[in-house]
Amino acid sequence: MKPILQAADVLKKYRLGSQVVSVLNGITLGVFPGEIVAILGTSGCGKTTFLNIAAGLERPTGGDIVINGHNLNKISEQNMAAFRRRYIGFVFQLYNLIPSLTALENATLPLVFEGIPPAQREKRGRVLLQKMGLGDRLGHKPNELSGGQRQRVSLARAMINNPRIIFADEPTGNLDSRTTEEILRLLISSVREMKQTLLLVTHDLDVAAYGDRIVEMVDGSIVRERTVSVPLK
Amino acid sequence: MLKRDLLLMANRNLWRRRARTILTCLGVLIGTTSIVVMLSLGIGLKQGMEQTMAQWGSLEIVRIHAGMQFDREGNPIGEEQRLNDGTVAEIKAIPGVVAVSPIYNVHSEATLGRKRGHISLVGMDIKAMAELEFTLAHGRLPKPEERFTVVAGYQVINNFMDERAMRGGMPFNPAAQDPTELLDRRIRLTMHNQADHEKKQTFNVYVVGILDEQNMERAWEVYGSIADIKRMRDFMLEGTEQQGNMLLPSPFPAARAMAVRPSASAGRGGRDDRRDDYDSILLRTNDLADTKRISAALREQGFNAWSIADDLEGIEHTSRIIQAILGGIGSITLFVAALGITNTMIMSIYERTREIGIIKVIGASFGDVRALFLTEASLIGLFGGMLGLGLSYGISAIVDRIGSSYMLQGMLMGSGEAVYISVIPPWLALFAVGFAVLIGLGSGLYPANRAIRLSPIVAMRNE
Repeated sequence: MKPILQAADVLKKYRLGSQVVSVLNGITLGVFPGEIVAILGTSGCGKTTFLNIAAGLERPTGGDIVINGHNLNKISEQNMAAFRRRYIGFVFQLYNLIPSLTALENATLPLVFEGIPPAQREKRGRVLLQKMGLGDRLGHKPNELSGGQRQRVSLARAMINNPRIIFADEPTGNLDSRTTEEILRLLISSVREMKQTLLLVTHDLDVAAYGDRIVEMVDGSIVRERTVSVPLK
Repeated sequence: MLKRDLLLMANRNLWRRRARTILTCLGVLIGTTSIVVMLSLGIGLKQGMEQTMAQWGSLEIVRIHAGMQFDREGNPIGEEQRLNDGTVAEIKAIPGVVAVSPIYNVHSEATLGRKRGHISLVGMDIKAMAELEFTLAHGRLPKPEERFTVVAGYQVINNFMDERAMRGGMPFNPAAQDPTELLDRRIRLTMHNQADHEKKQTFNVYVVGILDEQNMERAWEVYGSIADIKRMRDFMLEGTEQQGNMLLPSPFPAARAMAVRPSASAGRGGRDDRRDDYDSILLRTNDLADTKRISAALREQGFNAWSIADDLEGIEHTSRIIQAILGGIGSITLFVAALGITNTMIMSIYERTREIGIIKVIGASFGDVRALFLTEASLIGLFGGMLGLGLSYGISAIVDRIGSSYMLQGMLMGSGEAVYISVIPPWLALFAVGFAVLIGLGSGLYPANRAIRLSPIVAMRNE
């Protein structure tokens, strides 16, 4: 089976004044379709940078990222938006919802940029939010929702396009343990149901344990990889 | 992204910061209003002048007088052009010419009952009268099959004076007489042969209509069929060496015609083939622009052509300068408003940095982001522009109400037409709103490009 995401020797260096700081020192990683991969590491180990690069939000200093046969280095900044829309869904730690929009509008925002008519958008958003357990919260603004509810909206937004890969950056970092479990179960069951691939970044071993495979990063390098024999369901 | 979504989203974003948007719109409103009101004053001024000039004569009429055209140094322009049937046909063929009539002029002693005077007669193509804007206050126009029927200008009656009153040594009475006194009356004309002054002939003309007061140029003349007037003229010229054109047309353009009259023209060409040349040719065009164009083209060819519209040229030049100055003053205000829009949009980008990052991550393209910000800026222009236009109409109405009763009343005589100081034609309204939108769009360019350049990662880190 060919990996849906292939990172080959990804380097990232920042210039801080006269010093060059190396954040990623050659990351090579393949993620297979339908796989759930958790990237585990302490704060500052470069895991978020890797995620951003893998998702095309940042350009690597060296190395390649190939998603579904497309080398991200060869996609222009202009076309990257369309590429992300088609292949990638995003879940953030801080939800990143738009405060002025309702839950339904937030969840269906990617479809707006896709040029999908309102009626169709609404229908899809309604179904998805219902599945996320927010059937009665469609018209609420983010500040009227709890953290867990906001993250559910954010999950719905990531999945509304039915992307091939979902990138989740500490999706439960701001949630209590009970909500964390709820959200992760919801995320993973949806990913499995839709036969999507999930790349999950976390500093929490308990969260990482939800993955099929755990990749541990230290100081910009992958130090250990292990397959979880019985992933948490 | 659908246009509808774009508009809704832009509109919604604007009203998230209500006070700021309203204040920015207010700037555009004031800018638009100042431009529109200033320009409307200039347009009103020009229209007022045109209305006044139109009273002196139609702006669509061109007169071609016999003789050559000379420039200021006295050099002839083009070749001398003769006015005969060939010329009439040629002029008729010019695109934009609606009607043409050849003209003969004669002057005669005239008797109307007990009153006596001198009148100026104009012979022309009766069929072309209606098209040449002969409009009547009373009676009707002569018919082609009639002989010696005429229409008289509304001042013609003032050429006549009561014989008894004159004999009685009474001073000239300038009080205006009633023009309808001429209607359905016979005027007896006594003509003298120019070669032999003892030779006299009497012609009778019958007045069937009185022209209205629209046209001051025609107020003092009597118009009849060209065949009738030619008979009178032939009698007067019989036996003379004189070439045609011995009598000058109406006093108004006469000065011009006289100034450029070639003195030695009699030496050229045979007597007979020139005698029947017309004194002038009258033509009408579709509109003011055609008048100017055709009048200028005819002069180019050496015709002694003149139209009131030509005199408008100078007035228009002046009013264009006034309009440019007024419009310039207005533009400064709108320019300041444009800076306001740019400022507002930049502020908005600072506030929404994070949001811009988010929409970029979830799939908004460069085009979407740019379109969003440009639309927001244009909407400010549109709202401000439309409100400004509304305000302009209000101010314009007030200015007209207050001003017209004082300022321009003296300018128009006896006309029922209203004079407006401030005029907002539809094109100005469209232009104003369009321009405001364009200003908004232009002001949004820089902020929109800034928004595009924001890196989504950096933007999202922004708290």
